[in-house]
Amino acid sequence: MMRSHPTQWLLSVFVTVLLCCGVSHAQSDGARQQIQRQQTQPGNNAPVWREVRGGDNPYQTTQVRGPESAVLIQSGGETWRQTRRVFTYYGGWVLTIVPLLIALFYWRKGAIRLKGKPTGRSVQRFSSWQRMVHWTVAITFCLLALSGLIMLFGKYIMMPVFGRTLFSWIAVLCKNLHNFVGPVFAFALMLMILTFIRDNLPKAHDIKWLAKLGGMLSGEHVPSGRFNAGEKVWFWIGVLLLGVVVSITGFILDFPNFAQVRATMQLASVVHAVAAMAFIALFLGHVYMGTIGTEGAYRAMRTGAVDETWAKEHHEYWFDEVSRAQPAPARGAQGDFGAAAIKQG
Amino acid sequence: MARMKFLCDAERCIECNGCVTACKQEHEVPWGVNRRRVVTLNDGVAGAEKSLSVACMHCSDAPCMSVCPVDCFYTTTEGVVLHDKDQCIGCGYCFYACPFGAPQFPQDGAFGMRGKMDKCTFCAGGPEADNSPEEFRKYGRNRLAEGKLPACAEMCATKALLGGDADEVANIFRDRVMNRDGKGASVFGWATAYGKQDKAAPAAQSAPKPGAKP
Repeated sequence: MMRSHPTQWLLSVFVTVLLCCGVSHAQSDGARQQIQRQQTQPGNNAPVWREVRGGDNPYQTTQVRGPESAVLIQSGGETWRQTRRVFTYYGGWVLTIVPLLIALFYWRKGAIRLKGKPTGRSVQRFSSWQRMVHWTVAITFCLLALSGLIMLFGKYIMMPVFGRTLFSWIAVLCKNLHNFVGPVFAFALMLMILTFIRDNLPKAHDIKWLAKLGGMLSGEHVPSGRFNAGEKVWFWIGVLLLGVVVSITGFILDFPNFAQVRATMQLASVVHAVAAMAFIALFLGHVYMGTIGTEGAYRAMRTGAVDETWAKEHHEYWFDEVSRAQPAPARGAQGDFGAAAIKQG
Repeated sequence: MARMKFLCDAERCIECNGCVTACKQEHEVPWGVNRRRVVTLNDGVAGAEKSLSVACMHCSDAPCMSVCPVDCFYTTTEGVVLHDKDQCIGCGYCFYACPFGAPQFPQDGAFGMRGKMDKCTFCAGGPEADNSPEEFRKYGRNRLAEGKLPACAEMCATKALLGGDADEVANIFRDRVMNRDGKGASVFGWATAYGKQDKAAPAAQSAPKPGAKP
């Protein structure tokens, strides 16, 4: 005997209506079309197969647990593969041409020499903290760039020379090095950005510097602050923009255990590789200017000290600031220490 | 030479996961790795539910092979795509490229680091000597070397999953389609492809004119 209470009845109707709505909404277009298709064209499963490439349909299921295990076919892989071929090709050319251009520049124009005589008095340019953080970033960057390039181009350049077995040993080493050095680089990069951001804020005189390219071609003297506009461009575009981009995409690829889907990792992989190759191209220019391209620049990175003449010729506004804050005699001891260090080195 | 292929008949697959179990059992696949899985489309939607068993499809022009940075893939004379785990660096590129989600990685290192890639071998082992302990440890059993077909297809209760020489598989499937539901050519004829024009007229008839009155 059924004793149905009106509220119970209403509730059951409500639930039924809700369920029907839920089902009809959740049913994919493909399922609806398939049901219709079976009326007119039995045996034709085209609407189902059109849905095969989707995975977000809640009615596409599997017993196997794992991210995207219910996706039967993913199309993104082919897009990723084709994109990868393009950037490998052009990236390879960029990374071949840039060093050649730098070599050409060095051959035609030579290094930027000091015009005046060194005074023998040194100015402290970088503190030990600044040098340490820069060296950490520099060393980890080199390791990452080298291992990354080997993983991308080694198949074409190194494998024919070394053979599969030896190259695979090198590649395993590179992959693990890349995965473990990467987070160290990202952390050191953050510290370096915080360390140098204040002196890299754009100033009005940077426009003049950029317009004349710092007198790099004309040899003209263009004054600048602690960092010139070229260094600032490298800081904002290279270190900050590209550095943060490669770090974030790197973390996505380095830690695949957060259930990120393949589409995310494919995109991260493309962005990571393109940004990294642009980063390396800019880095080559930065290294050139900081070593053989500018007389006395490497000393600043190594010991933190530069000669007064160097400071005046390369970063006049900064030198004026420093001399105003601390006149030459007071700087003596510090400067001598820097000079002594380079002699020992 | 035979060219090995898998084919899964969606009209027969009943989503029993027998193939998945057979594969795990046969090869002692590590925990977390599934070389084969069954995906059900429109699960529970009457009239539209289809299931398919999917694993490595042993592509003729395999994307995994093309993106591998150490070139560890190779195709056997039977058309089976295999890989060398000693060379694999666990970068995951094959996993990004594969349309079927076949490459799997045991997460055995720190921070979910990928181990050596594992995938369906068409029960054909790897580069080691056939049926050697090393081959079994890395790739599972080499049934092809024993003259047997893949365990998943052999195990399939409804014979939905076929594995073997492509010509044989195609012949079996063609026979099925022609005889299915006792309708013969009607299943794969005009009506199936373009819809029923006339219930009275036999479907295998020569093509009716478009717009002709039923």
